[in-house]
Amino acid sequence: MMRRRWTAGPLAALALATGAPVAGAAENLHGAMAMAEQETRLDALLPERDVTQAPPGIDPVIWASLIPADNAMTPERVALGRKLYFDTRLSRDGTVSCATCHDVSRGFTDQRNVSEGVGDQLGRRNAPTTLNALFFQTQFLDGRAPTLEEQAKLPIVNAIEMGQPDGPTAVAAVAGDAEYVRMFQAAYGRAPNYEDVGRAIAAFERTLVFLDSPFDRFLAGDAKAISAEAQKGWVLYNGKARCVSCHQINTANPLGSDNRFHNVGVSARHQDFETLAVQALAALAGKEGEEAVQAIDELALETDLSELGRFLVTQNRADIGGFKSLQVRNVGITGPYMHDGSMQTLWDVMDHYNKGGEPNLYLDGGIEPLALSEAEIDQVVALMFSMTDDRFADENARQMARQRTTAASKRPFRDTAIAQRRVLPFEARLKKEQ
Amino acid sequence: MRNPKRRGIVIGTTCGVALVVVLGLVTQGSRAVATDAGRDGTIEVALCDGETTVQVAQAGKPTAAEGRQIADELMAKWRASNPGTDWVAEERAKHKIVEPADNRDLVGRSQGQTYGRISEQDVVGWERATLAMATRGSQVFHSADELGSTIAVSCDMCHPDAANTHPETYPKFQVQLGRTVLLRDMINWCIEHPVRGAKLAEDDPKMRALEAYILAQRKGTPLEYGKH
Amino acid sequence: MAKRKDPETRYYEERDAFFRDLAHLDRRGFFKVAAAAMGAALASGVTFHPRAFSMVRVAGAAKAPAEDFSFAYISDSHLYTRDVNDRFVNALLRAVDDVNALDPQPDFVLYGGDLAQLGQPAELELGAQILKSVKAPVRMMVGEHDWFLDMGVKWNALFGPETYSFDHKGVHFVVLQSVHEEDFWTARGMTPMERMMTVAGLDNGVQSRFEVGAPQRQWLKEDLAKVGRKTPVIVFSHSPLYHYYEPWNFWTVDAPEVQALLDPFDTVTVIHGHTHQVLTNRVGNIHFHGMLSTAWPWPYAPEGLPALTLQMNRPDPFNPQDGCGDGVVHVGAEGLVGKVYNLWNRNPVQVPSTYLASRGKKDRPAAPTRTSY
Repeated sequence: MMRRRWTAGPLAALALATGAPVAGAAENLHGAMAMAEQETRLDALLPERDVTQAPPGIDPVIWASLIPADNAMTPERVALGRKLYFDTRLSRDGTVSCATCHDVSRGFTDQRNVSEGVGDQLGRRNAPTTLNALFFQTQFLDGRAPTLEEQAKLPIVNAIEMGQPDGPTAVAAVAGDAEYVRMFQAAYGRAPNYEDVGRAIAAFERTLVFLDSPFDRFLAGDAKAISAEAQKGWVLYNGKARCVSCHQINTANPLGSDNRFHNVGVSARHQDFETLAVQALAALAGKEGEEAVQAIDELALETDLSELGRFLVTQNRADIGGFKSLQVRNVGITGPYMHDGSMQTLWDVMDHYNKGGEPNLYLDGGIEPLALSEAEIDQVVALMFSMTDDRFADENARQMARQRTTAASKRPFRDTAIAQRRVLPFEARLKKEQ
Repeated sequence: MRNPKRRGIVIGTTCGVALVVVLGLVTQGSRAVATDAGRDGTIEVALCDGETTVQVAQAGKPTAAEGRQIADELMAKWRASNPGTDWVAEERAKHKIVEPADNRDLVGRSQGQTYGRISEQDVVGWERATLAMATRGSQVFHSADELGSTIAVSCDMCHPDAANTHPETYPKFQVQLGRTVLLRDMINWCIEHPVRGAKLAEDDPKMRALEAYILAQRKGTPLEYGKH
Repeated sequence: MAKRKDPETRYYEERDAFFRDLAHLDRRGFFKVAAAAMGAALASGVTFHPRAFSMVRVAGAAKAPAEDFSFAYISDSHLYTRDVNDRFVNALLRAVDDVNALDPQPDFVLYGGDLAQLGQPAELELGAQILKSVKAPVRMMVGEHDWFLDMGVKWNALFGPETYSFDHKGVHFVVLQSVHEEDFWTARGMTPMERMMTVAGLDNGVQSRFEVGAPQRQWLKEDLAKVGRKTPVIVFSHSPLYHYYEPWNFWTVDAPEVQALLDPFDTVTVIHGHTHQVLTNRVGNIHFHGMLSTAWPWPYAPEGLPALTLQMNRPDPFNPQDGCGDGVVHVGAEGLVGKVYNLWNRNPVQVPSTYLASRGKKDRPAAPTRTSY
């Protein structure tokens, strides 16, 4: 795992030394674009519209089903959530906000293998994008938060990410700001509190709908919207490549995810799942409610037990090593890929699936060698790049060029013998153990 | 065709056994001609094609049931060397195929309307044609080759007698396909994935026959589209 | 004065508590209890490993006459040669991997029949070769897919007699060939391959129904004559040895006669293959447990399902291994059997001996949420 250290600028260094929060610093803290600049970009990306209505193209019944009863969409709540999203004062040392790891200029993620938080500490998991996150049934790679509201509150109090000791301390960092007091009052009719912090950020995130891609125009009937190569990729996506079953895309669920958790064998060769499972059970034994939520959050980000995925949440044997099927929308600009960011290019992802993942005792049997040819892999990759929203076309082109160059020189996950079924996945494993 | 009556006399005189088997065979629609008794005490009974034969022990007067058994053996042997002639019966001998609805009560009740004038022949013909389509479907359903499987898998491996195919639940949102589909789409998905063959065109006679067979097996089940 | 319990008694009490708790669990709670049991077990010197999903006693104390032990099973692999079908081969390899990963290792592994799909020598040899990778000793049982091409010639050459018995840790084991069929092929002038293809179709009505047959029943009678009534008996059979669904040969014609031979024994269990599903039954004194297939699951039959069976959930066809797997059988005190179905990508299904012993009143396994249509 690569560890990169970013030097903090002088202001931030002062902040770290004194522990005093610094708002609106212009330097690239933890590699993120400056907050003010991100906000300017966001203005250009999001059109003015009535946030109480479903965005254009989204089924209004589906939209309504995504909004919780206690957090209806209002312009005031969205504005408050937006301000909080970019506010580094919510972190212990004033250097990290949501936008640090969910950066407007980097596909609303950070385009790093794993994310970096306060004190330059690195976590264990790749940051999912906030783009279209509202459509998921659960949040986080292991689904440990049932809603956007719950998700927003956890990184703030995680020791590696934003480092606050607890919710009230985070609120206190911003409650002294008169502007915030006014905004909380306008949004929720009460003084700033941690629950509403989560609600407001969620309301803002519900405006981040980015489903306007060449692929969408192709689905709507424009045969020239995507290349012939990508169209062949769409046929494969629904057929030989078997993507559609876990990455379904339709009017009711536009994301490209089945919202389920599958062990596809990423990094499985490095894990002894049995030992980790025993340790996890011991670590979580007797914990209930809030305590359990915190414990899982820590284990997921700070320890080897992170590899257990969904098992940490459910303790079902069937969930060992299982991670959520992530969205295929905008996937071109939200690399690196998989729960640990171990795959740098979409060609790597295709190689992984083409060989049937990494066999392990808990591998999902639906993952099997696909016998795709190189041309077919290129077609599915072309399709995936066509699913990026038009507003990110430049970034998409950049990423595609970068990934193509990388993939041309190395394909560390490729195993043609297994992909073409000349060698069987579990055969190699048995041989190894003899 | 030889004179059966004369043969009967020959049987009677040469074997001293009144082969009532002749009677049994007549009711079955085939004829046997007994040849001379063998030295080991058996009789060779031949079919009217003069080629298909079975050996029958010479043990006194056979009953009608025994006669029927000999007739069955003869027919089975003849079918084995002449496959395909009554392919419907052949397939139905192997696999249960639910029969289509009985329309006999429509015969002769037309109130003078020409389009409503339904005859016995109509009803028999309809039944036969409908059953044939379902039976063809059974053939395809049970054959990895006909399905185009590259891994020698046929539908009946997971769906014996089309069990668990639930055609009454379509159209439905099929999770594996990620969208709302009809039965034929799911058949094609199964052909592509568990059976690992090439998809059939929707109007391919095999696809139509498969649908017919699957629907036939669920005759009488209430429709419940969308059910998971 | 409180009586100090010896480790053996404490172990059995903890294990009974474990299975009792299982009855009240939903899936989420499974591991919570497992962890508690693990803790308790560890405290009393017994090892427990989640990979085994079983508790196996290690601490030595006074040995009961029927010492408890476990064996694993792999069944119904229906192999084609690799170039014809790689999926089934890979699944058998996965099962071998599972069984080799059990810690501690089982005393032996039962192969439950239908190693080959069409009885081809190449298929049987492939299966034999793969099973050589199993670390524990393997006991073979024949199925109809192995038998009806050459009537057992290749099977006998590779694996020895198809009917035999052996004793292990105080339990008498009998292995039967329970898939004999009355001759349906000679009258029809079938070739061996035609005969095999007919038998290979579960719903092919031309074949006859399975039976043990009079000669083998006679052998069984003589074999059992040497076994005391109190000795636990475990019978391995491919067909179920009871009447479930005749059209699919989930059936043994002479089951009543075979059961009559077994019924006099205090503790009898039948472990059978062929049905490719979770299946539990009790007839008279005899407990019946089915084995999973590694190759594909069968749906539950339209009628005749034993009342004691709690169906496994309907499999998802996207995952060709759903509804498949392998498993473990625990033989406890007095030879009572607890069955573990190791379903791939699902939580294991456990059917403790107390469930059948109480005729379904205690310790019910989890109920299904999606049954066969």
